[in-house]
Amino acid sequence: MSTASPTTTVPRAAPAGTPALPRWQAAGLALVLAALVAVPVAVDNAFVYHVFITICVFAALSTAWNIVGGFTGQLSLGHGIFYGIGAYAGVILAGLGVTPWLGMFAGAALAVVVAVAISYPCFRLRGPFFSLATIAFLEVFRVLALHFREVTGGATGLMIPLKLGWEWMVFRERPPQLAIAFGLLLATLAVAWFVRWRRLGYYLVATRERESAAQAAGVDTVRVRLVAVAVSGGLTAIVGTFHAMYLTYIEPAAMFSLTLSIQIAMFALIGGIGTVFGPLLGAVLLVPITELARGWLGAKALGLHGLVYGLVLMLVVLFMPNGLMGLVARLGRRPASRGAQAAPAVPAAAAARPAIGAEILRVEGLQKHFGGLHVTNDVGFTLREGEILGLIGPNGAGKTTVFNMISGFLRADSGRVSVRAPDGTWHQPVSPADFAGLGVGRTFQIVQPFAAMTVEENIMVGAFHRHADVREARAVARETAHRMGLGPWLDVEARGLTIGGFKRLEVARVMAMQPRVLLLDEVMAGINQTDVRRAIDLMLSIRDGGVSIIAIEHVMQAVMSLSDRVIVLNSGRIIAEGRPQEVVRDPVVVEAYLGKEFVHAQA
Amino acid sequence: MDILLQVLANGLMLGGLFAIVSVGLTLIFGIVKVVNFAHGEFLMLGMYGTYLVTTALGLHPFVAVIAVVPVLFILGALTQRLLIQPLMASGDDHIQIFATVGLSTALINLALLVFGADIANTPPHGLRAPIEIGPVRVLAGQVVIFLAAIALVVGLQAFLARTQTGRAIRAVAQNRAAAELMGIDVTRIYALTFGIGAACVGVAAVLVAPLYPTSPNSGTYFVLTAFVVVVLGGLGSIGGAFAGSLLIGLIDSVAGFYVGSDMREIAVFGVFLLILILRPSGLFGSRLKLAHVSP
Repeated sequence: MSTASPTTTVPRAAPAGTPALPRWQAAGLALVLAALVAVPVAVDNAFVYHVFITICVFAALSTAWNIVGGFTGQLSLGHGIFYGIGAYAGVILAGLGVTPWLGMFAGAALAVVVAVAISYPCFRLRGPFFSLATIAFLEVFRVLALHFREVTGGATGLMIPLKLGWEWMVFRERPPQLAIAFGLLLATLAVAWFVRWRRLGYYLVATRERESAAQAAGVDTVRVRLVAVAVSGGLTAIVGTFHAMYLTYIEPAAMFSLTLSIQIAMFALIGGIGTVFGPLLGAVLLVPITELARGWLGAKALGLHGLVYGLVLMLVVLFMPNGLMGLVARLGRRPASRGAQAAPAVPAAAAARPAIGAEILRVEGLQKHFGGLHVTNDVGFTLREGEILGLIGPNGAGKTTVFNMISGFLRADSGRVSVRAPDGTWHQPVSPADFAGLGVGRTFQIVQPFAAMTVEENIMVGAFHRHADVREARAVARETAHRMGLGPWLDVEARGLTIGGFKRLEVARVMAMQPRVLLLDEVMAGINQTDVRRAIDLMLSIRDGGVSIIAIEHVMQAVMSLSDRVIVLNSGRIIAEGRPQEVVRDPVVVEAYLGKEFVHAQA
Repeated sequence: MDILLQVLANGLMLGGLFAIVSVGLTLIFGIVKVVNFAHGEFLMLGMYGTYLVTTALGLHPFVAVIAVVPVLFILGALTQRLLIQPLMASGDDHIQIFATVGLSTALINLALLVFGADIANTPPHGLRAPIEIGPVRVLAGQVVIFLAAIALVVGLQAFLARTQTGRAIRAVAQNRAAAELMGIDVTRIYALTFGIGAACVGVAAVLVAPLYPTSPNSGTYFVLTAFVVVVLGGLGSIGGAFAGSLLIGLIDSVAGFYVGSDMREIAVFGVFLLILILRPSGLFGSRLKLAHVSP
C-alpha cells in the first residue's frame, strides 16, 4: 500500500519473525510427529497402520478447519462440504482416467470457489447463526449429491477404480498410505503455521477479537476472512481426496456428514482452538478411541466412542476452555522476566514546531439522521497539516458520530469528506480501509483492545499497515510501545491492562500505523492528572512529528493547552469555532453547556 | 383440485408438527439467548420414553405425558444450571455452541448404546387411522398435533403475558442486569425457562412418537427444520415461529409433490439460507432484532 516512512528507527535488537516454541514444546511436537510414523512401522500391524493413518487424516482436517474456526473464530460446522467435494472430485476424475494427484487439486480449486461463494454472504452472521448456516449448506450439498446420481452414483455411492500404484494413490500395503497421510499432515501444519505467524494470521485474530478495531487499523476484514476460508477449504478438499482413495468407497451420507464436520471441529477445540498444533494434539488423543472401540468391541460398542466424545467435549468447555494447549502453555509459563522499567512516556526533547501547512482533510455539509433524530446537521470544517483541532460539545452533541463519518464507519446521508493524499491529490474515501489507506487513523471512545492478543501483538496489528514483514512490524510495535510507556507490558495479554493502559494501547495501535491524520476520541477521559499531563506532552510531540490531529475531549485543561482551533458542536450543529480562549467565553457556548439561566445570572 | 387441497392439508399438518417441536427451542432462544443444538435429542429421549411407557405398560401413548414432561423439565433445568450457566459469563459464542453440540453428541450415542440402532415403533393406538375432513384425509394423530400446537402456543403466550413468573421471564429477556436489580433471581429464571422449553418438546415427543419411528437420529431429523422455523419466525417470537412452521410445512409439502420428494430439503434449506442472509430478523420480526448480526 504505502512505503515505509523514513522516520522508523531501527530497533536495537532485531526481534524474531515468528515466536519460537519453547524448547521442550518443540521437542514434544517432534516426538509426537516422529511417533506417528515410528510406532506403526515398528509394530507393523495392518490395524495399527490404519489407526495412525486415520490420526494423520483427521489431524490434517482439523488443522485446516482451525484456520477458519480457530484463527477467525467463524465456527463452521459444515466443513464436510469441502471434504466431500475433494472426495468426489478425486474419485470421479480417477474414473475418467485422471490421477488423484491432479484430481486433488481440481477438488481443491472447486472447494475454494464454493468456500468463497457460500462464506461471503454468511460473514454477516455471528456465532451460532454462522454455524447454523454452514449446517444448512452441508445438508443442501448432501441432498444434491444424492440427487445427481448420474455423476455421484447417488445413494449407492462410488467405488474407486481399482488401479494400483503410486500413480493412482491406491495400494495393497499400508506404508505408502501412511507416508502420504503423514506428508499431507505436515503440509497442512506448515500452511497453518505460515498463515498464523504472517501478517494474515495477526489480521485474522484481530478481526476475530474486535472487528471494528481491526477495520480502523486498515484491515479489510472481509477479504482476510475470505482468504482464510479459501485456504481452509482447499486444504480440506485435498485431504478429502486422499481419504476417499484410502477408503476405496464413498457415498453422500458419509462424505457430506454433519457428524464428521462436528468431529473435525471438536478435535480442534479439545486440543486448543486457535493454536497451530492444538488440533493435532486433539486428534492424536481422540481418534484412537474411535478406532479402538470399532476394532475391539465391534457392534457391541456402537455409540460408545460418540458418548465419550460428547462427554469429553462438555468437560473441556466447562473446565478447560483453552484445550490441551492451554494446559501446556500454563505448565511452561515463563516467569515474567521482562525487566525493563516503566520507560517515561514523555518523549525526547521536541523539535521546533513545524508551521501549520495546507489543508489535509475537508468536511463539507455532513447530514445524518438516526430515525427522527437529526444527529448531524450541515457539519463542515477543515483540518490543516500539523494542526490540532479540538472538537468539544455537551454529551449527545454528535461528536462521535462525526468521527464515525470521517473514518468510514458510518455513511453520511449527504455531504462530503475529502482527504488529501501525500501526492497532493484529493480523494473521497468510503470504507474504513480506504481511510486507513490515506493515512487517517482513529481511536475509539470505548476502548477496543484485541483482548486475547498481547500488548505487542495489538500494536503490531497497527504497524502491519505500513510494514507487511512481521519482523519489521514487531520492531515498530516495540518502539511505539516504549514511547507510549507500555514497554513493561509488551508480553501481557491486553485484557490484563488497567483503563489508563487501554487508552494508551488505543493510541499506540493507531500511532504504529504512522497516520497523517489522527482522530482521538476522548483518550484522556478517566485517567489521572499525571497521565493527562503526560498525554498532553505526547500529543504535542506527535503533532511536532508532522501529524494533524482532531481530538474529541472533555478535559478542558487539555483542550485549552493543545488546540490551535476549537469547534463546538451542539445538537448536531457547529455553534462556534475559533481559538480556544475565545470560544470558551462565547455566550452561545456557555449556554449550550450550562443553560440560559447561567448566562443570565452571569450578566 | 382435490390433490392440491390434499397437498395443502398435508403441509398444514406438517407445519403443526414443526410448530410443536420448535416452540421450546424458540422460548429458550428468546429468553436465555442460547441456541440449543441438543433440542432434537431432548425430543428423541422423549420419544423413547413414550415408547417405553406404551410398550412396557400397554397404556395409550398419551398417558406417557405424565412421565415424559417432568423428566424433560428436569433435564432441561439441569442442562441450564450445570452446562450453560457456568459458560454464560465467558461471552464466547463458540464455547456455548460446543457445549450443546457436545450434549447432543453424547445423548445420540447414549441412545445408540442403550437402544441400539434399530427403529422403535410406538404402538399407534388408533392415532394412525385416517379421518376425512371434507375432501381431504389426514391422520387422527396429525390433527391432535396441530390442535396441541395451537394450544401450546396460546398457552405459553398467556403464561408469559399474564402471570408474575411470565413477566419476570420477559423482563430477564429484555435486560438481564435491570431484572436482577429489581430482585429477580435470574439464574432461577433461566433454569425455569430452559426447563419449560424442554417440557414443551416433551409434549411434542409424546404426540410425535406414535406417528413416526423412533431412532437415535430422530432428533436430528426434526431439529434442523425446527432451526429453520425459529429463524424464519423472527428468533424468539413464539407466534412468528408458529406462522413460520406452517409456511415451511406448506413449502415442504408442495415442493415434495410438485418438484420431487428428494428436493424437499433443498427447498426448505434454500428458504432458510435466503432468510438468514437477506432478512436475518426473520420474516415476521416486527422489530429489528439484530443481536446475531455483526454491525
